[in-house]
Amino acid sequence: MKLHLKIWRQKGPKETGAFKDYTVDNASEHMSFLEMLDFLNTSLVQKGEEAVQFDHDCREGICGSCSLMINGNPHGPETGTATCQLHMRKFNDGDTIVIEPFRAKAFPILRDLCVDRTAFDRIMAAGGFCSINTGNAPEANSILIGKETAEKAMDSAACIGCGACVAACKNASAMLFVSAKVSQMALLPQGDPERGKRVRGMVAQMDQEMFGSCSNTGACEAACPKEIKLENIARLNREMLRATFVE
Amino acid sequence: MMKCKSFLTSSVGQKFLVAITGLGLSGFVLAHMLGNLLMFVGADAYNLYGHKLTSTPLIYVAEVGLIAFFLTHLGLTLKLTRENRTARPLTPEQLPSNPVKKASFASRSMALSGLMVFTFVILHLVTFKFGTYYETEVDGVKMRDLYRLVAEWFQKEWYAGFYLVCMVILFTHLSHGFSAAFQSLGLQSVHNRNIKRLGWAFAVIVGGGFFIQPLYMYLWGAP
Amino acid sequence: MLDSKIPSGPIEQKWNNRKFEGKLVNPANRRKHTVIVVGTGLAGASAAATLGEQGYRVKVFTFHESPRRAHSIAAQGGINAAKNYQNDGDSVYRLFYDTIKGGDFRAREANVYRLAEVSVNIIDQCVAQGVPFAREYGGTLTNRSFGGTQVSRTFYAKGQTGQQLLLGAYSSLMRQAGQKAIEIFPRQEMVDVIVVDGKARGIIARNLVTGELTAHTADAVILATGGYGNVFFLSTNAKQSNASACWRAYKRGAYFANPCFTQIHPTCVPVSGDYQSKLTLMSESLRNDGRVWVPLKAGEKRGPNEIPESERDYFLERMYPAFGNLVPRDIASRAAKRMCDENRGVGPTGLSVYMDFRDAIQRLGSATIAEKYGNLFAMYEKITDENPYQVPMRIFPAVHYTMGGLWVDYNLMSSIPGLFVAGEANFSDHGANRLGASALMQGLADGYFVIPYSIANYIGGTSLAPVKNNHEAALGSLAESKARIDALMKAKGGQSVDQLHRKLGKVMWEFCGMARNEAGLKGAISSIQKLKDEFANDVRIPGDEHLNSELEKANRVSDFLELGELMCLDALERKESCGGHFREEMQTPEGEALRDDKNFSHVAAWEFTGKTPKLHKEPLTFENVHLAQRSYK
Repeated sequence: MKLHLKIWRQKGPKETGAFKDYTVDNASEHMSFLEMLDFLNTSLVQKGEEAVQFDHDCREGICGSCSLMINGNPHGPETGTATCQLHMRKFNDGDTIVIEPFRAKAFPILRDLCVDRTAFDRIMAAGGFCSINTGNAPEANSILIGKETAEKAMDSAACIGCGACVAACKNASAMLFVSAKVSQMALLPQGDPERGKRVRGMVAQMDQEMFGSCSNTGACEAACPKEIKLENIARLNREMLRATFVE
Repeated sequence: MMKCKSFLTSSVGQKFLVAITGLGLSGFVLAHMLGNLLMFVGADAYNLYGHKLTSTPLIYVAEVGLIAFFLTHLGLTLKLTRENRTARPLTPEQLPSNPVKKASFASRSMALSGLMVFTFVILHLVTFKFGTYYETEVDGVKMRDLYRLVAEWFQKEWYAGFYLVCMVILFTHLSHGFSAAFQSLGLQSVHNRNIKRLGWAFAVIVGGGFFIQPLYMYLWGAP
Repeated sequence: MLDSKIPSGPIEQKWNNRKFEGKLVNPANRRKHTVIVVGTGLAGASAAATLGEQGYRVKVFTFHESPRRAHSIAAQGGINAAKNYQNDGDSVYRLFYDTIKGGDFRAREANVYRLAEVSVNIIDQCVAQGVPFAREYGGTLTNRSFGGTQVSRTFYAKGQTGQQLLLGAYSSLMRQAGQKAIEIFPRQEMVDVIVVDGKARGIIARNLVTGELTAHTADAVILATGGYGNVFFLSTNAKQSNASACWRAYKRGAYFANPCFTQIHPTCVPVSGDYQSKLTLMSESLRNDGRVWVPLKAGEKRGPNEIPESERDYFLERMYPAFGNLVPRDIASRAAKRMCDENRGVGPTGLSVYMDFRDAIQRLGSATIAEKYGNLFAMYEKITDENPYQVPMRIFPAVHYTMGGLWVDYNLMSSIPGLFVAGEANFSDHGANRLGASALMQGLADGYFVIPYSIANYIGGTSLAPVKNNHEAALGSLAESKARIDALMKAKGGQSVDQLHRKLGKVMWEFCGMARNEAGLKGAISSIQKLKDEFANDVRIPGDEHLNSELEKANRVSDFLELGELMCLDALERKESCGGHFREEMQTPEGEALRDDKNFSHVAAWEFTGKTPKLHKEPLTFENVHLAQRSYK
């Protein structure tokens, strides 16, 4: 396959970036998207040009490192797929592909396509946990949890923290990410004692990180590689109300 | 108290207020639309309804409430939209890309459709509430002849056309806003099928109800 | 010479005895001590969180942008624990026995027993953190079976068990970070250990964003930096998983144990082309319902669904009737290789075998199969564009895990006092072959339950004079690290790091992979030596030191080259077959691994000397299990 790439190049957080055009001549349709970029980078390096920097690691769609806006879509055009699991067979010979970093004020660009998503870690530190010291846990089967509840919690817990929801949202809102964690914990009895404190803390930190607010458009859900559902956001809102008026 | 304050200053709390006021305003437009349907019964029925509505002192309480809802809804959404725009730097160049993973047109353009509805409401008040005062008499009681004013305006093609366009915009705003409010209130997901249906039904009823009025007055409202 | 410091007493009492004998640090004194943790996978995150909870000052380093990205996240199938919830005969002793046997009798009994003992606490801890393990309708935890065992003791959260366990440990870590007990240094890679008076007293970290090198001093250092499977270039490891932290520690005096013990996992998506950057694992749990087969006839050309039942060879069920498709990984991998060697492999390259779910789908319905393995099936389809509900999966063995690692004693301390090694980075518990669902167990056992006692015992029992980060040892390490980076940047050759790495990978896979022999290993060593020169002269790293993936890779691959050579040397030295280490010269008439307990019942621990590494042997004694030829028939 022959591909025309328009890739965002930016030296550092404070520098201005621009798109640069590249052509890849002999891509295979069986390559993953990142392997296609590897292939480009090898040819750049051989010419003594700087490789395109992008985040990636497991390449199995679970670590959440990979990002990329591909033709305006977080993680590319395939639904329920992270960039690392996207294959070139989903594109056509001769296509022009625009590759950008995830754009959000809360995700400053470090270089080229790499962004800093540590804001998510700070949100987690503000309440995304059950306060249980090691060694303090009761027998695992002493608290029963229904199969369906456990599965629901698992569906929320499947979030990989990649930030596609933020990138997809016109408001750069982190609500889907935050609500997935809040939901997981709210559904499980283990999360119950800190329910209110958790949601208040996480929402406050989310606002402080300068993510936008949710206008319920559902773009996040459409972009999520793990297909996390919007009902999590409704649950977060409910948890917030509960934390304010019931607890 | 502290909890309440921190709730109301959080983005989630503010969206909650936007939803509450939005639903309140939705209730108002529904009532307004239903009341206006009296124009199909006849001029007297329509004028009598208007007269009764405005002659109770409660109307002032309702109007103050309505204005408060309106301003809260408008003010908060303006504030949030501004914040949202800073949160999301845009792609510096317009590029030939066609995103497939995107939200509906209505949901992406709420701020714009909202502002248009706001402009319409101001013009609407100037045109009708503060428009020419004709007088009529129904069953011996003197009252405003609002029917005549409405008929006059809707006889003008350009105005009737403008009004119709505005109702389409209102429909767009409601088609997302009504169901989205349920999500902001934590009641249901905006993607819940029933909520979505309810939202669409509501937008169709209100938008449609308002849509047929100028058409009717244009065609058959001539004195 | 090598003191494994195994506590006295019968095996059931050893860990209790150690806990009681161990020195402690008073809670008020703990905040005076700094502990550095490198790596934030299961072992690192759990150790850091626990030490933070106990009151130590903890500094955590990860080259990832967030601790949650560590490769433990990709573990799929599950975690073992001797809970015996299924009432099918499990016990701490059976888990211990299975692990020792599964490891082909090349692990330390005492360590493995402790692992089995604390396994039950791990499940309790994770459930309390909100890990959504799979459950029965009645609300209790459920289990599945894994290879090498005849009981059902594996706990799981869909096909994302590693993710859920890591996010649990990560949440505990972030809780401590929020309370300022832990300081996290993301995108910072350890490039050296600071050794003062023979003790590990800190690390040199390189900030990958700015390129800056900084010395951080501490009272103890914990390496939890994972395995070195990426020596092979193609493996199921994440692209950035590397051995550099361990290798730099090795070069400062930590012994490297059993480097040739690598695990080749039988069920991976086969290689499809030269551009391939990594291999993807299909969880071992699939072997619960998937039947592995090849055509009876060599050179078969028909598609899988056209081959009638009578012309299929379910070779694992045929060769190992007792364990069937659930034999241990090394055995399943070698059997698949043998089928391909007999020209009965399938797919475009002939290098794969079928794993078929047809019967399971008929028996249970595709909805049940989707519920159990839906995400794995979807992943397979994304990669191969084939639907495993309709066509059998094609699988082939791939490098997955490294049982070898830095040598540690019973307390997980390396041969450098104050330098602890946890998780896959150490060599301790899996012998020559790891059983499925035991890596997660070991990572968390080390981090939550072993390291905290070891740190207290060490700090409480050692006099540690303060060391500032301008100490001459720190400055020396800093200068050496800088010189290394400078040298890499200077090379102006014509090959990218990946190109050279692929060459190394080919040599390693060919000669130090599923089957090894003397001539091959000797040849591999000289090839690698040539490759080292090629690397030094012909590598090309354009750009500067600020966020440069090429430089990061070069830094790691230069270590892989050295480590690859040591792996071959160790494989050459170990003239027996055991577990994942299969020397072609040493096999039974049926082609199974033939151990030589008389000469090789030991841990091979290698010491860096600057020239040929020096071999130290730690004898393995078996007092509780009977040494026997492994049989899964």
